[in-house]
Amino acid sequence: MFPMERIHSSRYYTFYQSDTERCFYIDFGHKLVRFTFCELLSLRQKVWAIDIESHFDDEVNPHGLEILSLCNKEHLFILNTLEVLDLKDLLTGAFFMLDIAAQHPVLASKA
Amino acid sequence: MKDIARQQMSIKVESMDMLNAQIQMEGKASASYLAMASWCDQRGYARSADLLYRQSAEEREHMMKIFKFVNDCGGNALSPEIKNINHDFSSLEEVFETALSQEIEVTKSINNIVATARKNNDFGVENFLQWFVTEQLEEEKTMRDILDLFDLMGRDGIALKLIDERIPAK
Ligand SMILES: [Fe+2]
Ligand SMILES: [Fe+2]
Repeated sequence: MFPMERIHSSRYYTFYQSDTERCFYIDFGHKLVRFTFCELLSLRQKVWAIDIESHFDDEVNPHGLEILSLCNKEHLFILNTLEVLDLKDLLTGAFFMLDIAAQHPVLASKA
Repeated sequence: MKDIARQQMSIKVESMDMLNAQIQMEGKASASYLAMASWCDQRGYARSADLLYRQSAEEREHMMKIFKFVNDCGGNALSPEIKNINHDFSSLEEVFETALSQEIEVTKSINNIVATARKNNDFGVENFLQWFVTEQLEEEKTMRDILDLFDLMGRDGIALKLIDERIPAK
């Protein structure tokens, strides 16, 4: 595999940066997905927009699943509640490591 | 490791999130002023309606200013979804009271972003928002001055007509 630097890992996922390609990768376990910076920002906004409380409401979201389409609709993910929370953790930590977030990940994840 | 992300975006993500929320707020203010303008227009308060149409256009300009700033800084500006606009008012005075309280909410929100940007050493954002800080003082004053007219001139039919004639035209 091309040279990549591991930036941050959460329980299920790992975030990498490729200096040579000037882009980022997230290893979702079954699939490695490449992100440009703006695709990454958009992923973060989509994940942040998820209403996690609806996962605990049987009428609104009976199966507690979230469908996420990524990177100009190239990828489609179905995530359960724990995976959504874990992806939030991953991105919070990664953005902090990338030096574009002010908040320390531990504090941010409580917000 | 190269600073790839930092090279692409010059503001903090927290600032970007707050600015996107502000875009939403300015967009909603624009739509809300339009509803107020419509109420006045239908009831023959022509100058009030004119002012509120102008306010609506101004709020959209505010929104666009922030929108461009976020994108120019390498962030991802989000086009706001606007719903739940109030169209019901019981009087002309209530229209301007609603306008003033909306402006006060915007002022609080801008101040909050400035305070957070300062705390995060995101000085470019703080600096950008200075224009909005001044603008908000003016907007609050405009609405407060109009509300003073009701105390001065009363609230009956003819007074309302006279108040409408005194609404500043730009
Ligand atoms: Fe505004
Ligand atoms: Fe305003």
